Amino acid sequence: MSELSVNHLLGIKYLNTQDIQLIFETTDHFKEVINRPIKKVPSLRDITIANLFFENSTRTKLSFELAEKRLSADVINFSSAQSSVKKGETLIDTVNNILSMKVDMVVMRHPNPGAGVFLSKHVNASIINAGDGAHEHPTQALLDSYSIREKLGEVKGKKVVIVGDILHSRVALSNIFALQLQGAEVMVCGPKTLIPKYIDKLGVKVETNLRNALNWCDVANMLRVQNERMDISYFPSTREYTQQFGVNKDVLNSLDKEITIMHPGPINRGVEITSDVADSNQSIILEQVQNGVAIRMAVIYLLASKIKQ
Amino acid sequence: MNILIKSATIIDSKSEFHNSTQDVLIENGVITKISKSIKNPNNYKEIKRDNLHISQGWFDSSVSFGEPGYEERETIENGLKTAAHSGFTAVAVNSNTNPVIDSNSDITFLKSKANKNAVELLPIGALTIGSKSEYLAELFDMRSAGAVAFYDYKKPISNPNLMKIALQYASNFDGLVCSFPQENKIAGHGVMNENVTSTKQGLKGIPALAEELQVARDLFLLEYTGGKLHIPTISTATSVALIREAKKKKLNVSCSVAIHNLYFTDEVLTDFNTNFKVLPPLRTQTDIEALIEAVKDGTIDMVTTDHSPIDIEEKKIEFDHANYGTIGLESAFGALQNIFTTKKTIEVLTKGKTRFGLEQTPIQKGNTANISLFNPDEKYEFLKSNIISKSKNTIFENETLKGRVYGIIAKNKAVLN
Repeated sequence: MSELSVNHLLGIKYLNTQDIQLIFETTDHFKEVINRPIKKVPSLRDITIANLFFENSTRTKLSFELAEKRLSADVINFSSAQSSVKKGETLIDTVNNILSMKVDMVVMRHPNPGAGVFLSKHVNASIINAGDGAHEHPTQALLDSYSIREKLGEVKGKKVVIVGDILHSRVALSNIFALQLQGAEVMVCGPKTLIPKYIDKLGVKVETNLRNALNWCDVANMLRVQNERMDISYFPSTREYTQQFGVNKDVLNSLDKEITIMHPGPINRGVEITSDVADSNQSIILEQVQNGVAIRMAVIYLLASKIKQ
Repeated sequence: MNILIKSATIIDSKSEFHNSTQDVLIENGVITKISKSIKNPNNYKEIKRDNLHISQGWFDSSVSFGEPGYEERETIENGLKTAAHSGFTAVAVNSNTNPVIDSNSDITFLKSKANKNAVELLPIGALTIGSKSEYLAELFDMRSAGAVAFYDYKKPISNPNLMKIALQYASNFDGLVCSFPQENKIAGHGVMNENVTSTKQGLKGIPALAEELQVARDLFLLEYTGGKLHIPTISTATSVALIREAKKKKLNVSCSVAIHNLYFTDEVLTDFNTNFKVLPPLRTQTDIEALIEAVKDGTIDMVTTDHSPIDIEEKKIEFDHANYGTIGLESAFGALQNIFTTKKTIEVLTKGKTRFGLEQTPIQKGNTANISLFNPDEKYEFLKSNIISKSKNTIFENETLKGRVYGIIAKNKAVLN
């Protein structure tokens, strides 16, 4: 049986194309499972997973927890608001304390880039990065690509624009790596203040005009403006942002093709995307959420099978 | 102390014995004879080593120890021991202690802690009280106690008027003002060089612009005020160009570069290894080439280890939270010799002395013996076991270095490995 080339999922940049192929094939299987009347398989009855969220999350945490439960793993949850991290305990000590209770796998969200990589070097468990600062959010990128594959047949050769706050976005970075690995063309679009100066060196196109970007693409992935990550003002007002980078039905209708609209959530309706677009049949936002569970089941399953060896 | 050094190749362009192999006789700390073969006059201690080379003692213009206040990082005693075993006979010690070294009595404390040591400790006083960038510290008073320069270590003076006044005021007594080259608003919360690697790693970048704006500002100020400015640890090609222009205009400016900024690019940071987290950050190959060129042509006056011991609790944590800095004394000579010839290495390790008020001490009969001893050719892998410092945060771990230090002779003492 084929297996992943890695023991942790720390970022898309540590994966190869075979890994992604394997994850997608496994996801196909689990997607079928979660559409059965009994949505659960006994695969991971002997595995204990700790979900460590050192940063707020609702949907990613729910999605992981659901994925773990549908694989019959034992699950414990931990968030920093209730933890000793605020009392000055180090990340390694916190995690080692939890691991000493015989935990096999850690799903971690953390505000600092590289926290997952750091942890993987110092603790003895399989680590899944559920978002580390502005670094990576690999399962999001995997589910995004999987959703594109499902909607358009394949990812290869597709043109995907990521719109919005690229500077503070781990979703953008992981998507860029994942899409490029699969042979898609990637563009980023947003105000220059929210685009990293050297992003073009990653081989992506840069566009500051939304209409041009939408005319170019097959898929537009609309990101949320992450006000909570901004220490200064990168644009004068949300209203002005929307005027330039918000997608509405009129803009979509004026294009000479029907593009696919994605969003990693949570949506700010009326800011980066209007309600009629979010709810239209061009949008695959809810499919992304559903695929998220299957993707996470696949990733957990594949990493757990490496632990079992 | 009486010593006879046997068969040492002298590397000292200011000495008539440059590039020749000689015996050197030292009596009561003074060089009394240099000749091809000297007989041991009176059972003096003899120094014989493989491929022994000697030069005048080396100097480092930016070293941090931690005492008082951060003894867990390094003490003065062990710091100076490290310097001696690494070939340095003089180190300028930064004011980044707790409390900050910003008064006459603080300077006196440092001097007294070190006065029996073979290594000369040259204290650098803070430029502003508590290095808070608000009010000038008592610069003249510190100078009277032995401060050789004034520097808020790694803390830029953001207020240009304060820097203007500091330069004007210190010029009254020929004081050397140091200005850390970073515009803090542009640097923002950056933790590494802004470039493709920072983009890939999702780490906030410090643009080269942050350094260059500050260098340009300080050179404008210096042109206006006169006075004497030292810019420690520059790291970008444009900073080099700005300083080169300023020197053409005869401005009284000097600068240094940290050895690790000549050695590593920011591309080593793909693994979030906090030992590579230094300030100024590791930059690009283009910057390294410009910096090396500037060391060769003299635009950069001196190299420094920017030795910063940081205990493991501040390094073995998430990259964003880790403290900046690397130790560098132990690896300095071997790392420099991977970049420059032995002659150039010795030159850049000794040239800065004059700027910081030390005399040059060529290896000549009648001069005080202030000597570094080394083997320039031995190659070895730099390991944790080579570290004498209390903290082990080295950027050079596992690098193959060229050149082994045997020790120093200075202040009528010998410290030999």
